[in-house]
Order: sequence, then structure tokens, then C-alpha cells
Amino acid sequence: MNPALRKLVRKAAPDRAEIDAWIKELDFPLVDGTDVTFVFRGTADAVYLRCWIAGLDTAQPFQALAGTDLWATTIDLPKGSRIEYKFEVVSNGNKELILDPLNDIVAHDPFGANSVCQASGYERPEWTLHDPQARSGSLESQKVESSVFRESREIQVYLPATFRKNRRYPLLVVHDGVDYLRYADLKIVLDNLAHRLEMHPVIVALIQSPDRLKEYSGDDRHARYLVEDLLPSMSDTFPLVDSPDSRCVMGASFGGVAALHAAWRYPEHFGSLLLQSGSFAFSDIGRHRRGPVFDPVVRFMNEFREHPGRPADRIFMSCGMYESLIYENRSLVPHLQSKGVDLRFEEARDAHNWENWRDRLRIGFSWLLPGPAWMVYE
Amino acid sequence: MNSKDPLRLLLGPQRPVANIGSALAGSGFGGGPIGVISAAWQEAEGDISVLQGLVENPLSDLRLYQKAEALFAADTRLHDAYRSRQERLKEQQRLYRLRLRQLMIAARATLRAEGEPSVIAAERRHAISQLRALDQHHLRQIEKIHARFDTAFNVDCHTALAEHSAAFVEALSRFDSLLITGGNVVVLMNRLRLFGIDQQLDRKNIVAWSAGAMVLCDRIVLFHERLPQGRRDAEIMCRGMGLLPGIVLLPDARGRLRSRDSHRVSLFDRRFSPASCITLDNGSHLLFEGKTLRESEAARRMTRNGKFKRVRAA
Repeated sequence: MNPALRKLVRKAAPDRAEIDAWIKELDFPLVDGTDVTFVFRGTADAVYLRCWIAGLDTAQPFQALAGTDLWATTIDLPKGSRIEYKFEVVSNGNKELILDPLNDIVAHDPFGANSVCQASGYERPEWTLHDPQARSGSLESQKVESSVFRESREIQVYLPATFRKNRRYPLLVVHDGVDYLRYADLKIVLDNLAHRLEMHPVIVALIQSPDRLKEYSGDDRHARYLVEDLLPSMSDTFPLVDSPDSRCVMGASFGGVAALHAAWRYPEHFGSLLLQSGSFAFSDIGRHRRGPVFDPVVRFMNEFREHPGRPADRIFMSCGMYESLIYENRSLVPHLQSKGVDLRFEEARDAHNWENWRDRLRIGFSWLLPGPAWMVYE
Repeated sequence: MNSKDPLRLLLGPQRPVANIGSALAGSGFGGGPIGVISAAWQEAEGDISVLQGLVENPLSDLRLYQKAEALFAADTRLHDAYRSRQERLKEQQRLYRLRLRQLMIAARATLRAEGEPSVIAAERRHAISQLRALDQHHLRQIEKIHARFDTAFNVDCHTALAEHSAAFVEALSRFDSLLITGGNVVVLMNRLRLFGIDQQLDRKNIVAWSAGAMVLCDRIVLFHERLPQGRRDAEIMCRGMGLLPGIVLLPDARGRLRSRDSHRVSLFDRRFSPASCITLDNGSHLLFEGKTLRESEAARRMTRNGKFKRVRAA
């Protein structure tokens, strides 16, 4: 049991005021080495810790602490881990998923929010936080007329703070770009890394699909959209370096599949890829078990694994150790390396979420799109 | 000592604490106007109001960077050739890096090797000599690329370049002393070279910090062992102006070098020997009169056994 919790319950029946004081002086969840104790206070029939961590039960039961209205459960979380979770509170037959009321640290995603447990050794990287010294780049909307989808699509474009019309810039295409801005602080990261000279100033096309599960699943139309609609539109509007090695395409989860698929369908268009927790499901034999939405992904990945070619010269991949996709991501590494791809793979003690992807951006960007820090001696 | 030997005052980064004012005041530069070369700041070139607040001498920026930009805009043939040269230089650097990586791995391994001392010593010497040979080869290749460009766009023959160059010669004649700021060392050296200014400064007193100090050496060595993507081996970029031969300057060494890794430091020192590898951190200053070191403050030099020793003046 957590020492602080043991100290509290050692008393026969701590009164309400004592529990209030105890809660007030501690940060939750309670971290003691690799033991992390989650605490819920309230009336319930049962309480569960719900987290989506490969290798752990998705619902870990809490134990009621006798003589109190406290519930607690402890898990072993290796140093440097970061996990997102909710509490499931069962009361009168009703189940309710709630954020941890004792923990203010919350991460957002397109589905809502989760509480965040930062295990011993995890610290949010300072380059993900707003730096008043870093000049802010700008965002503007642009319409892309798509002959592929026969419609006009709006994208966001990021221009670096040092943007000059008479300069030429590399292009970065970001799948789920608006989500990256909202949930992974992409603009802050781009501003900060350019300010620190760790990343080359880039023009970024932030695309957002109206039907990502279909278009990002290895859909040839999407690959054509990138190459035949988006790239010409960006080249016509912005001063870009017209060379594959100055074009990078990135994405997370299905966005990673879309990036890899486009580069595979159109080799020598993109010099580098940044793939985060790619949903690279495949089957060696029989049917996969990830549900019908993965059918086209598996078809593509099986074909890709059979005939990988050389989708890009340089690929940065990252994946959380606590996500089920770690197996697929790890297995892709030697596959790509054997084709001569210059590849870096980073694993993190995190799961399939936006802050995991945010925390890996510095190492990925500074490797694929290195800034002039090497040449600048202030 | 020749009383006419020009002064070279070398400083480390001017942040967090600027020492240019105090270092300059006591160094014999006098109170006359100083010409400033801040091309290493690129778009921010000429923004010297803060600097002027630190220095008593009147400052006047020569605007090398902006004049080069204007020249490129007006002369697309020159600009295209310049870009093409830069692409060739990049390619040369990439190939050099490719070969360097393998030689550095081998040299590090021999430095760490244990066993019969006489056998190891011979292998270490040979590993280091291979590194030096590659560095020399690379420098020669770089100079060939520059020479090709210089022949096509000779500063004396190309009209626009000759005009700018003459204007700079005239501007330089108004100053006994120059100040060269830190910033992007490659941009700085390229601009100095484009206008032939690198050949005009040998009789000037010069105060320079960081990148500005690096270009005074005979070789410009890029280094950074604390990049986000990990350690990177030092690379020779190009020749410098050669005003301070036999020195490799290492600005912000505390921030950029892994100083406690004695094998890395030892290899760095041996690779560039007989040049002295000297750190210039914030607060450091070195004052040369001609080639004689007159003052030294908070500067250290690498040693063969992987440590640092304080640099002492003559």
C-alpha cells in the first residue's frame, strides 16, 4: 500500500476533516517509485480504473478502504511512463466514466478528455509549452480544388515566423492537421523548434479528411489527392523547394497509414516520412481481428509487406510501448531498413494518444528537417 | 613585439551576460568608430541598437547580408550560380559526413581499446592520421568548388560584384577596427568571401564573438554534441580567413560539447592537432596582438588526455 495511504488508514476511522486535509496536501494519483495508486472518494457500489494499455486489464477494480469513503487501486508503472485513464463508477446499476476528480492534469482528444497519470520520471517537455521568446508563425486557410474528390477542400497552412516570399521552404504535409494543432500543440512545437534552430522553418499543409477511416486506410484516391491536387496547389501558392527531399508527409494512427500509402503509391515524391503509432495491421495467415474498418488497411499492409519498394529515403517512426500496435510498428522497422531506408524508431512508455505523439515531435522533426543549430554560434 | 600588429579580441557568446563592453574598453582599441559585420544575423542584420548600448565606440553596420540579397535579386545569373555552388557544397559535405562517420567510429574504438600498448598506440596513430587525411581531402574539395565559382564570378571582373567590392573597400578604409558578431557562421563566411572582404582584414583590429571569431581561424570546424537527435561528429566546413592560424575556436563549448567524455575530447584534440582547440564560453575573452596571445580570461584548451586546461597568455 502507498505509504501516505497507509498512514491515513492506520487510524481507526479518520474523520471527514482529516481525509479532506490528507487529500489537500497530496498530488494524485500517488506515485511511489513504480507503484502508482489511484484514489477515488465517494459513494459507489464499485469503482474501476479504465485505461487502454496493452498488457494491463482494461478495468482494474478499486478496493474500498474500511471506515472511509475512499477507494484505491495500485498498479505498477515503469519509470518515465505516461498513461491516460478514466474512472468507471458503478452505482445503483449505472456505470459512469468520469475524469479523476483529484487530478487536474487532463489530455484532450477528438472524443473528449482523459485524466493523465505522469509516473515517476515523466516530465512534460518544455519545448511543448508556449515560449514567449519564440516568434509565432501564422495560420491561414486555403482552398484546394480536388479533381480526385470532385470538391473543394479547405486546409490550414502554417507559415513560419521568419517567412519571406523570396525564400523557398520545405513542405510538411500533416494528416489530421487540425487535430495535431488542437491536441498535440503542433503550432507551439513548430514555433519553438524553429526558434531554437533545431528544425528548419517549414511551410505546413494541415489537412483534415471528412472521412478519415476510409480515406486514410490505404485509399488510392487519397494518395492521388495528395500528389495531384494538394502538392500542385501548395506549389502554386507558396515558395516551396521543388524537390522530394524537401517534402515530408506525416500522420498518426490511420494518418500514418495514409502517409506511408501515399509515399508507396507515389515513390520519389516524398523524401521523408514521420509515422506515429501507425495502424500498420497485417495478417500473415487467416483473418485479422481488428474489425472491418481495418480490412483495407490490412489489404494495403499485406501488399506493402510483399512489395515494399522504397517509399522514402528517410523515415522516422514512433510508437507507444503500451499500445497494441507496438508489435506491428516494431516489425516494420527491419522490413524498411532492409530496403535501404534510413530509419529511426523511437518507443515511448505511453499509449495511442496525442500527447505521446506531441512528445516525439522534437526528435522526429529535428532529424528529418534539421535546423541550423549546427551552424549557428550566437 | 611589433606595435603595429593588429589586435584580435575574441569573445564567447554575449548571452546571458555580455562582456564586450568591458573587454573592449581595456584592450587598446581606442575610442574611434568601429565597422560592424553582422551578416551572421541574416534578416536581423544591422539591428545593433542593443550592441551600441554596450560599446562606447560609435558603431556602423556594413550591411553585407542585405547587399548580397539585393545583388542576388538584381543578378539572377549570379544567384543561380551561387545556389548551384551551395548545392554542390552540400553534396560534398554529405559525402564527407558519410566517410567521416565510419572513421570516427574506428578512431573512437581504438582510443577505448585495451591491450598491448605498443600495438594499440600504432593503431591509434593510424586511425587519427586517416581522419586528418579525410579532413584535408574534404577541405581541398571544398576549395575546388569555391574556386570554380570564383573563376566564373571573379570579384574583380564581374561588374556588380566589383562595384560592391569597391564600395566595401572604401567603407572599410573608414575604420581601423571591425566588430564581427556571432550567428550563422556559414552565412557569414559566404558573404565575406562573396565580396572579397576576407582578403581585406589582415591589418584591421578585430573584435569578434562566437561565429565572428571562428571565421578568423584557418579552418571553420562545426561542432555540436547536444543536438536533439544526439551527438554529431565535428566537421570541417571550409577554410576561414586565416588570421589566427593554428587555432580551432569552440564557442559555447559548455552548451555544445560533452566535455566530461574524455575519449571524445581527446579524439577532438588529436584530430585537429597541432592546432589548439580553445573554448570560448560566455564570459571568455582572448586578446591577440598579431599572433601573440596577450590576455586570456576563462578560455580553456583541450588536451591530448581528454581534459581541459586554462589558456594562459604569453
